[in-house]
Amino acid sequence: MNGQPAIQVRDLHKRFGDLHAVKGISFTVPAGQIFSLLGPNGAGKSTTISILSCLLQPTSGDALVMGHSVQREPMAVKAAIGVVPQEIALYEDLSARENLDFWGKMVGLRGAALRQRVDEVLEIIGLADRQKGRVAKFSGGMKRRLNIGIALLHRPQVIIMDEPTVGIDPQTRRNILDSVKELNRQGMTVLYTTHYMEEAQELSDQIAIMDQGRIIAQGTHQDLVQIVGELDRVDLTLNALPDWVTDRWQQIPGVQKVIVGAPSHPQATDGERTVTLLVDDSNLVLPRLFESATQAGVRITSVTIQEPNLEAVFLHLTGRALRDE
Amino acid sequence: MKTLDIARKDLLRSSRSFSVWVFGLAVPLLTSGIFFFAFGGLGDGGFDLPVTQVVVANLDSPVNGFSAGQLLLNFLKAEDFKEILAVSEVADAVTARRVVDQQQAGLAVILPADLTAALVRPGERAVVELYQDPTLTLGPGIVSGIIGQFVDGLIGSNIAANVVTAQLARYGHPIDAATSQAIAVEYGRWAAALGAHQQQETSALLEIHRPAVEPGSEDVRSRIVSLIMAGMMVFFVFFTGAASAENLLAEEEAGTLARLFTTPTPISAILAGRMVATLVTLILQVVMLVTASALLFHVHWGSPAPAMGVAAGMILLAAGFGLFLTSLLKDRRQGGLVYGGVLTVMGNLGMINIFTAQVAGPARQIFDTLSLLVPQGWAVRGWQLLQAGGGIGDVLVTVLVMVSLAGVFFAAGLLRFRKRFA
Ligand SMILES: Nc1ncnc2c1ncn2[C@@H]1O[C@H](COP(=O)(O)OP(=O)(O)OP(=O)(O)O)[C@@H](O)[C@H]1O
Ligand SMILES: [Mg+2]
Repeated sequence: MNGQPAIQVRDLHKRFGDLHAVKGISFTVPAGQIFSLLGPNGAGKSTTISILSCLLQPTSGDALVMGHSVQREPMAVKAAIGVVPQEIALYEDLSARENLDFWGKMVGLRGAALRQRVDEVLEIIGLADRQKGRVAKFSGGMKRRLNIGIALLHRPQVIIMDEPTVGIDPQTRRNILDSVKELNRQGMTVLYTTHYMEEAQELSDQIAIMDQGRIIAQGTHQDLVQIVGELDRVDLTLNALPDWVTDRWQQIPGVQKVIVGAPSHPQATDGERTVTLLVDDSNLVLPRLFESATQAGVRITSVTIQEPNLEAVFLHLTGRALRDE
Repeated sequence: MKTLDIARKDLLRSSRSFSVWVFGLAVPLLTSGIFFFAFGGLGDGGFDLPVTQVVVANLDSPVNGFSAGQLLLNFLKAEDFKEILAVSEVADAVTARRVVDQQQAGLAVILPADLTAALVRPGERAVVELYQDPTLTLGPGIVSGIIGQFVDGLIGSNIAANVVTAQLARYGHPIDAATSQAIAVEYGRWAAALGAHQQQETSALLEIHRPAVEPGSEDVRSRIVSLIMAGMMVFFVFFTGAASAENLLAEEEAGTLARLFTTPTPISAILAGRMVATLVTLILQVVMLVTASALLFHVHWGSPAPAMGVAAGMILLAAGFGLFLTSLLKDRRQGGLVYGGVLTVMGNLGMINIFTAQVAGPARQIFDTLSLLVPQGWAVRGWQLLQAGGGIGDVLVTVLVMVSLAGVFFAAGLLRFRKRFA
């Protein structure tokens, strides 16, 4: 791989009318790496991916895939990539095999080569024994796997996966993550989007954290976690939350950030509330938190302490949770 | 190559679609079949049905001087049905049922007081009651078929008004009840005119359309059914053309079209593949309809060479028009309105000269011109000319018009889709 990066994105912008969905992002994915775009809903991940798959024209900026510009050489880009769309895109009235046959032809496979590759892909996605079944009768997980299989047919140099694990059971998810790693081991470059930080952490050589159309941090998992340094993350559940409690906590030495979770009920003034804090050393801070809660007559009903992770990085950088669940 | 791969995939999917079979083949054949059996006692007397005694209690009250009940009654009393029906009227429903109970009639037809009202006012429903002697099946069965046809035609007016009202409201132009009623009444009147013509002496219709053939030399029934079958074929072939193009919208919504665009496949191959699939579907549909109707109902399609010309013109036009019509739609929800409304109205307009065949004089010209305002009318005209014994010279202009119109619609539709998918 003479050192040419698989993907180069340069100051990419995309506007939908007034909405500035992608606000000048740049990144480079070296060949052979797994690169994740991690970000919450609406961050602009799918928009970025659509531009890389030549489905959308950028408003400005450009992207190169295997050295080909998405604007000037879309056909060369399309020949180099396999795309797994976020929404399942299959012909439900055809069988798994008929789907693979058709999509294989669309990427230029024919005859014996096509048949053999379809057999291989059916093995990879674990649908060999269901190949004659109509897709309409498949479970969500089976459809997800076929959705991925289609992108593998022509052994693309770059595979682009948009949240391939949304809405599936843990076992299928495990399967998919393992096959992504396997594909990468065989030499494919993977661009992966997700809003699960565990997936980004497990898979990626590099991660770009995206929020509101921008890349707000980028690097290896370790690089990113460095941003929050040695901070611990403390999640508390309280039975009530008077305003001044957070003000007072903010003043406790060693507390870097106090983030109040959304109330479980919009009108709730005294229902259960969650608060997340980034602190230097939870051992020192926790007793002070309990002390002031007791003074305020507030009960802390649960405490979780986490080592620094991407979620904490996102919190630290945006003041918001990666996923509000 | 990819074009053919795409066409093959589209055809495979169509062959698995229930609605393609139902609307492409079953419905047009069944409709013609109903007429075939309804006219069974006429013509060459090949069918000998017993005369069914029918009592009618017409309780219907007219709306704006139009009574669907009266129309249906006249329809049943028409000459055409003399040999299969003997219609008498009674004053009320109870009497009607009693007459059947006493086996003095095989079937009682009870037309409710709100029949016309329900047909012309969107949203209302009326129930026509058929009360039949359980020991008789064939005669009453045919009468029910005739009435069903008739009522379906009228109900079309109600549906049309409902659709128009709902759609206008959705686009911010609510119309009042009086207007929507007026629409339905107008449609009802048109349907009435249609019904009135159907009850005319049937041979008059043939006089006009078969100048080349000596009267009486052919099976009357087969001529009527041939004409109806031609109308049905045109009507449903245009549906198939549009439904086939609609698959582009379906693929757009399912995300498979976007996925195709992530593969190195040019837009032109995708559109061309779809068009090849449409044309093949239409050719198969026409071949099957022509063959089946010739075998089952002795439909006479005219001499083979010009018939192929008319069929080709019709197929191209149906495909082109379907593509163009679909290119105007935003999504498949709008498709429902178009296929249920626009194509139905246009299809009926195209067939208007079948239903008004015996009208002569200046009105004749109006109907002829009217039907030629819609593409379907040209196709119907082609078949009418052929069934009247026309040769290549007689249908040439019609075929050329169809091919030219098809070219215009194809170009416009393809242009619009290319722009949309670019
Ligand atoms: N075709 C479009 N027209 C208008 N706005 C769009 C279009 N596609 C995306 N957007 C908007 O652009 C923003 C980014 O959307 P995008 O789908 O890229 O986010 P995402 O990071 O993929 O989110 P998710 O995790 O929910 O998939 C959103 O505000 C979205 O509403
Ligand atoms: Mg997305």
